[in-house]
Amino acid sequence: MAGFTKKLSDNLFDKFSMDFLRSQVLKNAYGNDDTVIARLDPRILIVWYLFFGLVPWFANDLIFLLFSFMIVVVTTVLARVAGLVLFLFLLGVFSQTGYLFVATLIFGGNGTAIAPLLVLTLKVATVSLASITVFSGLDPDRLSNGLMWFKCPERLSFSISYAYRMLPMLMEEFQSVLLSYRMRGNPPDSGTFLGKIRYLIYQIKVIIHAFYPLMLNTAKRSRTTVEALEIKGYRYAAVNKDVKKLKLASLKVTYDDMIFLIISFLMICISLFISSMV
Amino acid sequence: MNVIEIENLTFSYPGASAPTLKKLNLTVEAGDFLAIVGNNGCGKSTLCKAMNGLIPNFITGTYSGRVLAKGLDTCGTDVGSLAARVGYVYQDFENQIVRPTVLDDASYACMNYAMKDYLERGKAALEKCGLAGREKDYIWQLSGGQTHLLALAGAVSLEPDVLILDEPIAQLDPGHADRIYEILKDLNENYGKTIIVIEHHTEYIADYCKHVVLLKEGTVAWKLPTREALCRVKDLTASDIFPPQVTRAAYELKKNGVLPMSGELPVTVSEGRKIFGGLSCHRAEDGKAACESVRSWETPPAAVEFKDVSLAYRSVKGGPNQIFDRLNLTVRKGEKIALIGSNGAGKSTLMKMMTGLLRPSQGEIEIFGEKIQSVKRDKLFRRISLVYQNPEEMFIKDTIESDIAYAMEVRNIKQWKERTGQLLEQFRLTGLKDRDGRLLSGGQMRRASLAIGIALNPEILLLDEPTANLDIATRREIIRTLEDMKDVTDTVMIATHDMQLVCEWAQRIIVLCGGKVIGDGTRNEIFGNEQIRERTGIRPPEIFSMGQELCPQAYCYTIDEFVQTFGGDFNGRVHKEAIG
Repeated sequence: MAGFTKKLSDNLFDKFSMDFLRSQVLKNAYGNDDTVIARLDPRILIVWYLFFGLVPWFANDLIFLLFSFMIVVVTTVLARVAGLVLFLFLLGVFSQTGYLFVATLIFGGNGTAIAPLLVLTLKVATVSLASITVFSGLDPDRLSNGLMWFKCPERLSFSISYAYRMLPMLMEEFQSVLLSYRMRGNPPDSGTFLGKIRYLIYQIKVIIHAFYPLMLNTAKRSRTTVEALEIKGYRYAAVNKDVKKLKLASLKVTYDDMIFLIISFLMICISLFISSMV
Repeated sequence: MNVIEIENLTFSYPGASAPTLKKLNLTVEAGDFLAIVGNNGCGKSTLCKAMNGLIPNFITGTYSGRVLAKGLDTCGTDVGSLAARVGYVYQDFENQIVRPTVLDDASYACMNYAMKDYLERGKAALEKCGLAGREKDYIWQLSGGQTHLLALAGAVSLEPDVLILDEPIAQLDPGHADRIYEILKDLNENYGKTIIVIEHHTEYIADYCKHVVLLKEGTVAWKLPTREALCRVKDLTASDIFPPQVTRAAYELKKNGVLPMSGELPVTVSEGRKIFGGLSCHRAEDGKAACESVRSWETPPAAVEFKDVSLAYRSVKGGPNQIFDRLNLTVRKGEKIALIGSNGAGKSTLMKMMTGLLRPSQGEIEIFGEKIQSVKRDKLFRRISLVYQNPEEMFIKDTIESDIAYAMEVRNIKQWKERTGQLLEQFRLTGLKDRDGRLLSGGQMRRASLAIGIALNPEILLLDEPTANLDIATRREIIRTLEDMKDVTDTVMIATHDMQLVCEWAQRIIVLCGGKVIGDGTRNEIFGNEQIRERTGIRPPEIFSMGQELCPQAYCYTIDEFVQTFGGDFNGRVHKEAIG
């Protein structure tokens, strides 16, 4: 048994290494550019998101919510979202409302308490999944182009794609700094229960301490980046309208986009129809 | 026609006590392939940034004099218009890349300057830089050499007349380095670009450049055609620049009177063949025997053993990326091993596995007979230590003194204060002990990282590229430090591209290629083996190739050995005369 738990914890530890996180982030951002969702026009998706990200908050109709939920589940599947993101989503939904649901059941609550909780859970889940579809289904460049079309400032859209470009590098650097701590540090013995808690506290401390060298190293690197951006005319482009036109020329609405919108629209109509029948 | 004209340029950075460039005058002709050499801090990078207008338009300071780039005064012209005339590739080129995909990055500048055909321009630039077919790749899928080519393509896309590259091959293996220079040559000859490189590797200067400028204390000491420049052995060595090994060997032989004083010095191996051709090889056989006898007869116990080890990395798309497949390797106690192979052959990965930081997906790694997973981490890191390729990542405290002390302090090692003091002294860091490691120069940073690595007195020391990115003088200094450390540390393994380091330091050489050990033996066995050389693109030091050209039995790895082997005539004569 002890062997088994050790193996399990080793396994978990293995899964949650920085390396794993890095590959998941990359997968999420760029690994699925050939899915149905990724090929949609970003502007259409943003409009679609405005509906599914906002309306569920204000709706209380259970059937409408169920249908919306089903739609976003399908789009999430189509977007082939990375496992880690889905795990975080489940964790998030559960920590928001799911635990209340379980607690109600344990302390002898009856069905009447469940219905409102279910509605709340559905709302949170629908909105989250819609966000996941748009923000991780689209590759960051297309997303930022879409945002730019809606007159978001150039700097915001550049930041999004630049952040994604930097992220893997940052994580690699962070990983190395953490490895330095692992090699040279002296973590408390994690044999006993108390030891385990001390070990956990130690780990958290190390992660916090590791930010200092990470920030300094990044600052050192960015000196070159700033000069390179200047040479590459970033500042010039930010105020030039022709450049914006050039960038947005790649956006095109196709039949697929229309079909996607129509299917979503039809599903919503059906849900409203059923709900009015009941 | 001159593409660059500099008149009386003086520049000092804000807050600096002395100017970095002092009344500098230089003209660069169109179509030239120019190398700029000089010791650290002589203002090479500053000069290049003055040529592309970053100085004074973006980096301000005290500026006087005039710089004309294709007839345009850089002072008062915006950086953008200048970028279309003078392109620049940084030494830390990976920070120059700002977009996630290859074509995006190559065409980014063109798009920013609102050129309608920006994608075509990007594609054309990639074509010129040998990256055709990689347009859709993400930048982290590229190797170090390819990333450099992409940075170059980003500059080429604007079709500048002048391209400036700051130490283009500092981090690359010889195969990739050749490729970069071949592409530069192509740009120079077939597209009429003027190329300016800051370069320490004089062998490459000899092969590719047309002129050499020596910078000294912020001013131009001379500008000469390459041949003439490289033969000025005295001037160059005074500035910590080392002419090609054949040149230095000939210079020594001239001094010894073996070669006539009036004769020319060779700068490449083919020239060397003519000039050294008349010399006879004296002590080839016993030289070889002496090397072989380093191997002791008794086999010492194993320090680290890899048994059928396989490892795969997760990749963003598709299946996992297999690095090692059933690797078997034994590292014995007391060995001084050099681990070589091209970029991406798995050298760093092998080292990380030895410290237990990466776990093999299959197979076992044993350290001193114990399975690595079952050794307590604390005990493991007292016995084995890894120094990264990038020293910045080793600095986790705000002064190098506390960085060196950290591992000992948290383990409550007695007299850690004294030992820290000793280490600072040993690595000549006492005067710098209160500085942040990141703010030190390249060589100082490297020394500090070595001190951190041996603080716990490990039995096994692993060094990842200890001489990468260093100029030749600093590199020598590090090699000397490693030489001094030989008595202190027991088992040492170095992963490196630096064949001079390999030849001067290692007793055993392991060659990795495609996740397999394809060569394992002494330097004679490795460098004497044509097959290994061809398969991995590793290249022995120039002086070794020179020796082999002259006499296939000659195995000389240093200039001294070469001079002894081929200058024996003279030495023998002196000897006899002295006796007589």
